[in-house]
Amino acid sequence: MSRRSPTVKNPIVRRLILWIGLPLLVVYSVVAVTSYFQNKKASIDRMNAYLLELTSHHAAELDSRFGAISRTPAIVAETIEGMKALTEERLYDLMERRLAADPDLFGMSVSFEPYTLDPKRAAFSARVVRTPGGLEKVDSQADSGYGTADWYLIPKLLDGPYWTEPLFSAGGGNELSCSFSHPLRFKGKFVGIVTADISLAQLEKTLQAVDVFAGYAFIIGRSGTFIAYPNPDFVLRESPFSLAETLSRPDLRALGKDMIAGKQGIAALADFHTGEKNWLVYAPISATRWSFAAVIPEANVLAPVRAQLYRQIVLMVGGLFIILLGIVATSYGITNPLRKLTAFAGDISAGNLDVRIEGLKRRDEIQRLAEVFNQTVADLNQYIKDFTAATKAKEAVESELRIARQIQESLLPRVFPAFPERPEFDLYAKNEPAKDVAGDFYDFFFLDEDQLAVLIADVSGKGVPAALFMAVNRTLMKTVCQKGVGPAASIRAANEILSRDNDACMFTTMFLAVFNVKTGDLVYANAGHNPPYIVSRDRTIRVLPSMGDAFLGVDAEAAYHEGRARLDPGDLLVLYTDGVTEAVTPEGDFFGEERFVRRVTDHRDEDLASIWGRLSAELDDFQKGNRFDDITVVLLKRSE
Amino acid sequence: MRKLRIKRTVLAFLLLAGIAASAPSVQSDKLVVLQVQWVPQAQFAGYIMAREKGIFAAEGLDVDVRFSDENSSPITELFSGRADFCTAWLSQTLTLDRPVVNICQVIQKSTLMLVARKESGIRKPEDMNGRKVAIWGGDFSIQPLAFFRKYGIKPVIVPQSYNIDAFLVGACDVASAMYYNEFNKIYLSGVDQEDLVPFFYSDYGLNFPEDGIYCLRETQVNDPELCRKMRRAILKGWEYAFAHPGETLDVLMDYCAGYRVRTNRAQQKWMLEAIRQAVIFGSGEDPAGWGVLRKDDFLRVAEELIRQGFVKTVPTFEDFVKD
Repeated sequence: MSRRSPTVKNPIVRRLILWIGLPLLVVYSVVAVTSYFQNKKASIDRMNAYLLELTSHHAAELDSRFGAISRTPAIVAETIEGMKALTEERLYDLMERRLAADPDLFGMSVSFEPYTLDPKRAAFSARVVRTPGGLEKVDSQADSGYGTADWYLIPKLLDGPYWTEPLFSAGGGNELSCSFSHPLRFKGKFVGIVTADISLAQLEKTLQAVDVFAGYAFIIGRSGTFIAYPNPDFVLRESPFSLAETLSRPDLRALGKDMIAGKQGIAALADFHTGEKNWLVYAPISATRWSFAAVIPEANVLAPVRAQLYRQIVLMVGGLFIILLGIVATSYGITNPLRKLTAFAGDISAGNLDVRIEGLKRRDEIQRLAEVFNQTVADLNQYIKDFTAATKAKEAVESELRIARQIQESLLPRVFPAFPERPEFDLYAKNEPAKDVAGDFYDFFFLDEDQLAVLIADVSGKGVPAALFMAVNRTLMKTVCQKGVGPAASIRAANEILSRDNDACMFTTMFLAVFNVKTGDLVYANAGHNPPYIVSRDRTIRVLPSMGDAFLGVDAEAAYHEGRARLDPGDLLVLYTDGVTEAVTPEGDFFGEERFVRRVTDHRDEDLASIWGRLSAELDDFQKGNRFDDITVVLLKRSE
Repeated sequence: MRKLRIKRTVLAFLLLAGIAASAPSVQSDKLVVLQVQWVPQAQFAGYIMAREKGIFAAEGLDVDVRFSDENSSPITELFSGRADFCTAWLSQTLTLDRPVVNICQVIQKSTLMLVARKESGIRKPEDMNGRKVAIWGGDFSIQPLAFFRKYGIKPVIVPQSYNIDAFLVGACDVASAMYYNEFNKIYLSGVDQEDLVPFFYSDYGLNFPEDGIYCLRETQVNDPELCRKMRRAILKGWEYAFAHPGETLDVLMDYCAGYRVRTNRAQQKWMLEAIRQAVIFGSGEDPAGWGVLRKDDFLRVAEELIRQGFVKTVPTFEDFVKD
């Protein structure tokens, strides 16, 4: 018996977590992961679309500015083409008026093919620039090399307008500028170029104002060179292509190709300097064939996406935590009372029946179980108290019975040889009660010098009532026998007395004999008792037959008859009660008269006490210690 | 429109140099001026490294390497006495009025070339017939004209500015390029080399040695030891530059930054390697064979110059080459 198991192999809390918490965790995780990727994809798609739109918007703004500027040379070219009398003064006047009207321009020029405007002049280029002091004409005579300059040559070769690649102008400080060139035609024939020059100094500021997720913006020209970039060292020096070589980054080359091809898109880009993960969103500036790009740290782009995912994760983890808490609380709610019940049962098995399960404060099956436990223990406690009281009472009775038996034993003569001064016979008697107090009894006493009264009786019932009745019987028999009226008369007299006032309806079987020790004559009467035997010296057996007389104490008027027999020297008279012959095995076999008589016969030559000893041992053996009735035997042997 | 900020710096240098180099004869403890054809770039790495690494000084020379732009010419500087030595092409120095001598032929191979886009369909010289071919003027036109004549081609010849924007935007079908410079700039403008068809003059029997070191004949006659020292130091300078490309590029990029040259490291790296190939052309890796003007190269250039009418006669090889 273990009062309390120290560890439980498969605790309920673990099973609950295993079967509820774990599946929930799995389902939760699957949902979370799925929604993470769905949300991420959706968010990134939205972000992509937004960034493309934003970038395109910035690119379009720049595009419209350059587009507006590009119209000026076209208009000037058209005006010149329409002039009837084209003079140098009118050209300057035209350019000055345009520059006054358009503050975005810092210069204009009109340049002609050799000998076109003036047949004497191989080169003619009129130019007006905006200076802090106002508009200024530049004498172009010296600048005869313009024929191979890109701003002149390329649109001429292309026979169409052309944005030059930006460069740092020599005149206006270190200022980035570029020109838009438009061919000039007389009657369809190419005669020169009109340019509008703009400063790109504002470009840097424009880009700095572009705020796309705290990233930065840059512009590359049509051959990839950085035109505007936060690091001024890159401007007009590096390009995605040169960086691709220097940094061994082929991805930059592919990106550069897409950008100068006028595409728009989004690319992953490790930062040129830090290697940080960036997104590069680019869109074309169509007018100049440049490309605008915004570089945004991926962390900035994904920040809103991540924030949402974090919220989800926090909700999920929180929810799961609450569920697990609930599971643990519930399982402890179940197991704690169970632990109390276990401890309680342990207390009970240790013998403490005064315990009660208290403080569960529940309204569920466990409370009900606790109540049943409490009731059971209370009942058990009461039963044990009652049982203890009953046992004490029984012990008291048994103690009294032991005393009664001692008294009873003292009533029966039990010192043998009973008459050592009489050599004519030997006598042995023994009574072994089934209960502590016997209902059988025997007695013997001399009526005179030679007459020995011997009797054996069996009182109906057992225990104390039988013993009391027996005591009355015995005393009565002693009294009536002393009158010397013979066995039948004595029994009749005793029967009369016993039958009167016998409210308890107790009765007695009795065999009474008067034995003349001198002659061996035997006179007897039998009140319903087992007929005794006489075993002769030659082992012949005689039965002293019953005369059909009634028990004592039943009928006061009953008549009793006398029988006569004779014990020859060496004859053994055997008296017994039915406790001997009706001794029974646990299987239900009776000991029987035949077996009894044979045993006595077999040992008849032995000492009487020894005969009893053998018989008693065999009976004990036969009954396997279960004695249901008193056993009484009286042996009388006439000496030889 | 191409006006570099470098101009003023160069003018300041020229002014100082004019004062310093006023003496007609140059002593070895005096400043020696080496005028190169263009702004700082890997084309001049050998001279720059010879100066930076003290190789000139080791020869007992104090050499100033000076750079040029489109408004200045090394030969002009040499004739004016502002420079003692200059770099120049053989095709130019064979046409001069005053006698000069070649003390070292650095670049053995023509790096001048023509390039077409593959998509133009031009695969061989004959395909250029009737197509717009852009060529630079002056000395740069000698080889292309010889090339057209040799292959009987009649292209539409258009002028070319100092860059290849016209080619990039499709204003011409074929453009001139220096292999070490514009050819790579095309690549660095996003056009892959497999999309280009290069025509190297050296592949068509028209190899013209390019950068050589020249001085006036009287300089060589008066101080042949100076010339020998210059030659040794210059070749050692190139040897050093090729052996230490990383360091050389670092120095070059510093020079470019100082002179506000708008270039990038990738371009200079390409250029240094291309120059190396042109320097070792015909002689191999061993510096002992570098710097020699070969007579067949000399005669080829002379013949073509005479044929095209640039000159009627040329100096003898022996008078022209002094090492």
